[in-house]
Amino acid sequence: MGGVHARLGAAAGIPVTDPTDRLPHPAARTDLAAGEALKGDRRSGDEGGVDGPEDQLGEGPPDDLIEGPTHDLTESLKDGMSGGLSPFAGWTWRRRGLLIAYIVLGAAGIAAWTRHVASAPHLDVRWRATTSGQLELVRSDVPSLLLHESSVLLGVTSPATGFVPLDAQVLRRSLRWVIDDADRVDQQKMQTALAEVLRAQRPVTLVFENGSQAPVTPVARGLASLSPLFWMLYAFAAALALLAGIVLIGNPVGRNWLFALAAWCQTGNLLMIGTESTLDLGLAEPFASASMPMHMAFDLATAAAIVGTACLHPRRLRGAPVIAVVTAGAAIVLPVLYLAGRLTNAWWWTQACVILFGVGVIGLLSWSYRIEPHPFALVLRRFGILTVASWTLLTVAIASSDQMPGLPHNVADIASMIWYVFLGSQLLLVPFLAQTHHALREFSLLAAICTVATSLDLLFVSVFDLSPFAALTLSLFSSLVVYSSARQWFLDQLLGSSKATGERVFEQLYRISREAQAQPQRCRTLLARLVGDLFEPLQIQVVEHRFSRTRVASDGSSMLVPMPLLGDTAASPGGSVLLRFAQGGRRLFSSEDARLSDRIVEELRRAVNFDRAVEQGRSEERLRIAQDLHDDIGARLLTLMYKASSTEMEDYARHTLQDLKTLTRGLATADHRLSHASGEWKSDLSHRLTAAQVALTWTFTFDEDVLLTATLWSAFTRILRELASNVIAHAGARHVAIDFRLAQDRVELQVVDDGNGRHPGEWAHGLGLGGVRKRVRQLGGTVEWQQAEPCGIICRVVVPALSSRE
Amino acid sequence: MAVKVLIVEDNPVARSFLSRVVRESFSDTLSITEAGDLETARRLIGPLRAEVEPFDPYKLILVDLELPDGNGMELLAELVRYPATKIVTTLYSDDDHLFPALQCGADGYLLKEDRFEVLVEELQKIVRGQPPLSPAIARRLLTHFRQGASSAPNSGLSNHSAAPNPVSSGLQSSRPVPLGNHPPLDHERLTPRESEVLTYLSKGFTIKEIASLMGIKWFTVNDHIKSIYKKLNVSSRAEAAVLASKQGLV
Repeated sequence: MGGVHARLGAAAGIPVTDPTDRLPHPAARTDLAAGEALKGDRRSGDEGGVDGPEDQLGEGPPDDLIEGPTHDLTESLKDGMSGGLSPFAGWTWRRRGLLIAYIVLGAAGIAAWTRHVASAPHLDVRWRATTSGQLELVRSDVPSLLLHESSVLLGVTSPATGFVPLDAQVLRRSLRWVIDDADRVDQQKMQTALAEVLRAQRPVTLVFENGSQAPVTPVARGLASLSPLFWMLYAFAAALALLAGIVLIGNPVGRNWLFALAAWCQTGNLLMIGTESTLDLGLAEPFASASMPMHMAFDLATAAAIVGTACLHPRRLRGAPVIAVVTAGAAIVLPVLYLAGRLTNAWWWTQACVILFGVGVIGLLSWSYRIEPHPFALVLRRFGILTVASWTLLTVAIASSDQMPGLPHNVADIASMIWYVFLGSQLLLVPFLAQTHHALREFSLLAAICTVATSLDLLFVSVFDLSPFAALTLSLFSSLVVYSSARQWFLDQLLGSSKATGERVFEQLYRISREAQAQPQRCRTLLARLVGDLFEPLQIQVVEHRFSRTRVASDGSSMLVPMPLLGDTAASPGGSVLLRFAQGGRRLFSSEDARLSDRIVEELRRAVNFDRAVEQGRSEERLRIAQDLHDDIGARLLTLMYKASSTEMEDYARHTLQDLKTLTRGLATADHRLSHASGEWKSDLSHRLTAAQVALTWTFTFDEDVLLTATLWSAFTRILRELASNVIAHAGARHVAIDFRLAQDRVELQVVDDGNGRHPGEWAHGLGLGGVRKRVRQLGGTVEWQQAEPCGIICRVVVPALSSRE
Repeated sequence: MAVKVLIVEDNPVARSFLSRVVRESFSDTLSITEAGDLETARRLIGPLRAEVEPFDPYKLILVDLELPDGNGMELLAELVRYPATKIVTTLYSDDDHLFPALQCGADGYLLKEDRFEVLVEELQKIVRGQPPLSPAIARRLLTHFRQGASSAPNSGLSNHSAAPNPVSSGLQSSRPVPLGNHPPLDHERLTPRESEVLTYLSKGFTIKEIASLMGIKWFTVNDHIKSIYKKLNVSSRAEAAVLASKQGLV
């Protein structure tokens, strides 16, 4: 499998390009792996800017069919097929090994860290912040503290360190969300002191406001007492890290490195938040000093990495290196300055910087979309807007509630935690955009709403001065209203909405399947039209390779719909229809679209096959009737003819027999080619006219050698024969000129004799000419007889629209 | 000595009608035998042995295609080497029925619904070697010979004894019978003139018109038609021989 670069890792949407593979030629790197991860760009960064066909596709007018890349596209699609469906198909052992090593290392790291957290010294006491900013003991299982419930704590003493005063600030789980620099330094000092007291693992004495003291020994908390929240956050972080590893090992190119970086930073954030959630009194070392710089670095690095990916995907933007250097510089400089103690208002700097990066991402994606209407950019921009907006809201809420004692700090921690979960869920979602992962999408949306709810809660408390309970109720209520009313709209917006209603789909499918039944050879065009109408893509293209099922490719920007296989494989059009950029590039193809297309193709196939079966049954039945008529009635008519008492009777019987033969032949044979039919007409007519000693001039012209249906063939055969019979029987002509023309679907037949017929208006139309009139009328045409000069009759038959008479 | 004629036809009225046609057509003394079905016909003709000339054979055999105990083509196929002029009499004027009959070695065909005079004329022509050729059959002949020629290039390596399609299997088939994989012999190729004649015939031109279009005499056109017939017959005879030798009959 040389040069397989676009495998269709549909199931898990994992880019699987082996970096060690050598390219046959750059154009083969068609970016069409199904469900390829966000950053799985094959022509980016460290690949030296190899231009794939996608670039050429993007720059042309959107709706024209590009000839050039089609071949490569098809080739790589074929290669993709041979890669199989498993996401790990085509993974070399080296890569599998790497992934396994990554998982083992990661799991070991997390396990070690969990062990460390579980063994941290801890006082088994539940505390609460009072409105005056002091610590109140809520509940404890330690016997010596039972008496001190609802007492206010002043501090702890231990023989080694002396008295450490404590206030409600120690309950803050993370220093990241302390706004004021001085506050943070104070808290950090208090936390460090407390941590030292606890780390000694010797009995300490709690000093209460009412003067009482209680000795208590800090103990390791043990794995069992870790909260469910801790485990959930850790599991979430592990999933994120695993995804980062898979994406990166699958295709270690520039944008995947950036994606992995963002995912790892968020993993770090989530691990820290998880750990912090377990610490109920004081942050253990190294959290007290590391919390702020680490969180800050993680946040800034994530934002910078996302800016970088926006530069590279879905399009590589021109100023990418400059932007990347600037953002990376900012993300490095700020934490370094903070560590060096030279950054004042660190919290504000961080928040502002993240917002700035977020706005930058939105701008970059808009720019990218303008260059090439890749719906991925649009979807990512929607994500970006949602994320940045919630971050800004969170910032405002926390900033405005900073000076409120008590509850807001908790809420601020929770709000920020939920925001991180929201961001993490988006990172998890992005590689699977083309698939429908309802659960994940709903989860992400829920996280977003929760961020909004908690932020609103903070805002209500601080700005409107509501009581905590009222604020909570109000914010929950308003968030629920927003969630339930806008949920569907949100979800549609996330992936782009589909305008195709069920009614429209049904109507189109019905119409197209009828057309396909009538003309199976046009199936290709019809299917392309149907899916085109349905998804309104910017480009439709027919590729040669036929897939067994519809698949979504290139991050959901493209979809490949196979042609239906009709009954006989020889006549079936092969190939697939390639759609790119659904709804004018505003929407991604989802696996639901693929399922719908599969159903459509199946329905089309069924409709055509059913109609074929019906047609076959009908033709068999016709054949049987024809055979019976011919054999039974024909033999009797023949006998009648032989036994006829007079020439008239004999001729009449012969005539009838000939009509019967025309009829049965019309029944038994499906289609007659016009040129073939003309030969037979000419031969038949000259045979008969010669026998009657009438000369025939026969001219026959046609612009298209159409297939005459049995009806048309038999109608024309009988019209011609009847007109000739008439000439033979009544005109007494010596010469007949028959002129048959087919031009632009219009038939003009002219029969001119030089006989003694006159005054056609006065003719009594017997069986013969009446029959001609009837047949011409059935064909939707006109017939007229005129006197010719100097003698004879002209008969003109005009059928204006031949093909409409089927 | 009377010329022996055999008429195989199940309809007694048609039988006597055809007798009249035959009597009218020839001035010779005729001894006409009539048969109502294939079995009677076979009995009358007697045993067929390839290497022995039949004693006092029928000179003219008229065979209806639709017979109570089978298809007339079966008889034609058996009589491939029988030294008689064999004529198909039928109501079926379409090539689907007639072409296989011609392949089975018929020398011509008569359409039973034609007038008495027309039939007489046609019969005389056939016996004289001017068989009829309808446009549809001309088209089929063109296809037939073209296929024989086109199968040539890739046949060089193939086994000559590869089974050709047996003639008898083509009885109900509307497809022209392919000629197997052997390279085309002379009798399987049409001369350019013959092809031209067939092309004109397939377009419905009469013999006279063809003669004037090609700038030749009308009897030359007829010679071409005769030759085409012979080629078809010879080719089917060759096929029959291959078939017979495969079945151990010869």
